[in-house]
Amino acid sequence: MNQIKKSPTDEVGKRSYTNFAQLNGEHPFKTQVPGGRVEYKARYRKGGKVAFFNFELAKEMGLIAKNHQPVMTPDLEREILETFSLTIINEYDLINEIKFPEEDIFPHTFMATRYLQLQHPDKCGRTSGDGRTIWNGSVRHNGMSWDVSSCGTGGTKLSPACNIDKKFYQTGDPSISYGCGLSEVAEGLETLFFSEVLGKNGFKTERVLAILEYDKGIGINVRANPNLIRPSHFFGHLKQGNYETLKQVADYYISRQVENKAWEKLTFKSDKEKYLYLAQQTCKALAETAAKFEDEYIFCWLDWDGDNILMDGGIIDYGSIRQFGLFHAEYRYDDVQRFSTTILEQKQKAKYMVQCFVQIADFLSTKKKKSLGHFKKHAVMVAFDKHFEDAKNRNLLQRIGFKKSHVDHLLKNHLPKVTKFRKAFSYFERSKSKRGVYKVPDGINRDAIFCMRDILRELPQMYLARNALLSHHEFLEITKSSYARKSDLKLTDIRKKQINRFQSVYLSMLGALEKDLNITRTQNLLELTMRASVVNKYDRVTGDSITYIVQKVQKLKPKLNPNELYELAQSFSTYQNLDPDQKISNAKSPVRHKNIMQNLYSIVRECREGI
Amino acid sequence: MNLVLYSGGDEKENKNLDRAFVELLGKKNPVVTFIPSSSYLSEQEFKTFVRHYSKFKIARFIHFPVDVPFDKILFQEVMRSDAIHMGGGNTFYFLNSLRKAKLIPQLKAFAEGGGLLTGLSAGAILMTENIEMAGYPEFDRDENVVNLTNLSALNLVDFLFFPHFRNSARYDAVFKKYTKSSPKTIYACPDGAGIVIRQDEIRFIGKCFAFSNGHKFTIN
Repeated sequence: MNQIKKSPTDEVGKRSYTNFAQLNGEHPFKTQVPGGRVEYKARYRKGGKVAFFNFELAKEMGLIAKNHQPVMTPDLEREILETFSLTIINEYDLINEIKFPEEDIFPHTFMATRYLQLQHPDKCGRTSGDGRTIWNGSVRHNGMSWDVSSCGTGGTKLSPACNIDKKFYQTGDPSISYGCGLSEVAEGLETLFFSEVLGKNGFKTERVLAILEYDKGIGINVRANPNLIRPSHFFGHLKQGNYETLKQVADYYISRQVENKAWEKLTFKSDKEKYLYLAQQTCKALAETAAKFEDEYIFCWLDWDGDNILMDGGIIDYGSIRQFGLFHAEYRYDDVQRFSTTILEQKQKAKYMVQCFVQIADFLSTKKKKSLGHFKKHAVMVAFDKHFEDAKNRNLLQRIGFKKSHVDHLLKNHLPKVTKFRKAFSYFERSKSKRGVYKVPDGINRDAIFCMRDILRELPQMYLARNALLSHHEFLEITKSSYARKSDLKLTDIRKKQINRFQSVYLSMLGALEKDLNITRTQNLLELTMRASVVNKYDRVTGDSITYIVQKVQKLKPKLNPNELYELAQSFSTYQNLDPDQKISNAKSPVRHKNIMQNLYSIVRECREGI
Repeated sequence: MNLVLYSGGDEKENKNLDRAFVELLGKKNPVVTFIPSSSYLSEQEFKTFVRHYSKFKIARFIHFPVDVPFDKILFQEVMRSDAIHMGGGNTFYFLNSLRKAKLIPQLKAFAEGGGLLTGLSAGAILMTENIEMAGYPEFDRDENVVNLTNLSALNLVDFLFFPHFRNSARYDAVFKKYTKSSPKTIYACPDGAGIVIRQDEIRFIGKCFAFSNGHKFTIN
């Protein structure tokens, strides 16, 4: 496909895929928050092809018809390229008076948004934001608005490189990597496989709508979410004490949440009530997210700048996302100048962000910016701890395999049992290897030694089959991970006591349900056996496995067309769907795909306990 | 030896085979292990299996995929089960996984020691001397996805088993040809039909077919 430009004279009625026309650079944030963005003209980028298109997501967004087959047609490919294949005309191009054919220039500008990023020397968000991303616009379908942005569309003046080196770079400048404004297809694939899996497993996340491919593995990765605003979009203006722009960001964000009916409360009596509600909602979302990250072993590098997460706790930017197979709670990513946070430190970072939102609510209501410390004991901060604890308890019961009504019953009527079990569970989950901290390829780690998914999966069926407790030795035999050394598995008195406690409290929760809800032990254990086998599946993706899978897919990619890649991503996320209530249809895939999938399963299996 | 070989089909079609299975179990509150042919989405298969056999008042089940590592504690419970059921799927992949996990002699010993071993489709083919029937005939075969060359299986019966049989001239021609040069009889069963072996007695459930010495026979 060659040089095709979305012509300003295109008539919507004549197009096959009319809703793509909404993604033309126009976005309400542009007009509502003028101080929150930088605008760029853009030109059509030649030589691209569609490597991947998410048909399911496109249907959800109303970009293609509900009955559209998952097949790339020439019309659809043309539409995707016309809409997303672009490069911004940046400061370097303007200063150097680089000329581009007039017919290649898009009629509207595209925005890069400003947000706080800790790697910028400024530390106040005056210079930071989307460094290689622009927002394509928003589409509205079935009562839901979606934001769409593209990564790899050229270097903006908000990139760290520009501000550290104090110069503008030409897009694609090989002398710098991240600052050159380009992105790789591999990044898009990593986001695709990871986000589809995590999305199916109840995580809020950005999703990949399309991946465009150019020479040398360069790509444009198009992402979508109902609201792409991050805490860092607020924090820059907060740090600068810029009341006006901060208010605009808050009002914009709230109006989108209301428009999408994302909150329970949609009308407010006063600004004070509105901004407090914003803080409360953010508090709940971030507390629940921090708990889920801990329980699902997600390392997201949450930090004080609020850059790596969306306002609702959704995951954005998979570059630093990892899912561990075990609770490797001391892993730190080595980012050259500094080490990242650990999984356990994420809670404190989330709490800090919430405190900033309490500060924002107060600032916007009083027009006076008080110190952050002033809000340390605010009711919202107390609520954070409660939301976090509630989410931890709920998550654990779900991991055991209890169905929702049983989870609710236990939380409401037997909370002491639940918290007692959590203590015993944490003892094993957080046990570390005697090997101590050591270097791993991208950071440091200290190994966790027990695989809690294994014991939660095997325990109910062991009880069901033999109607007796596991011995201490059997318990450790099932729970030990491949990281455990002989010296890590000593049966000390404390450990024996913890094994007894784990089993007795587990069974006492079952007993409570049986007594209160008139069900038998066998029924209870059988249901847990079935559900726990899904929730705690032997193979679960880890960060490493996603990396290897992407390498594998890239090797195969020259032979994989967008339809096949879509099918693979769908099959993979179905296989990694750990929702015990899911309904799976047995669609038959071609033998070649089965062979590829077998390879992917092996990778997941081999990396299942890693980082 | 107590064996049940299912061809395939739904709950209704397998009513009589299931009845025979429960009779063979002959025990209150038995433990039944389900071994899927592959761990891929086997949790869903396990659910279906449990729901189906729960109707026969069986309530204790073990899910035991063999293409993923397993601990010896759970394996001991599997070997203590009253029945082990091997599921359907790709026979080559299934046999390869059983062999890698060193389970062939263990399952053989389980059946020879009086445990009830049942299998559906691929699981049933595995009870025969080898799994040649999985790759035969050309127009209706499993893909040898693991490039397995050693096809020897549990060898618990002295016949070959062909599941999902369709009574047609096309199948007749290839099976007659096959048995002209093979000393083994092929029992070909449509979905819903199957074979029950109790000690030395063999019983055919539903309309089954036998191919031997180049001839076809109808059973039942």
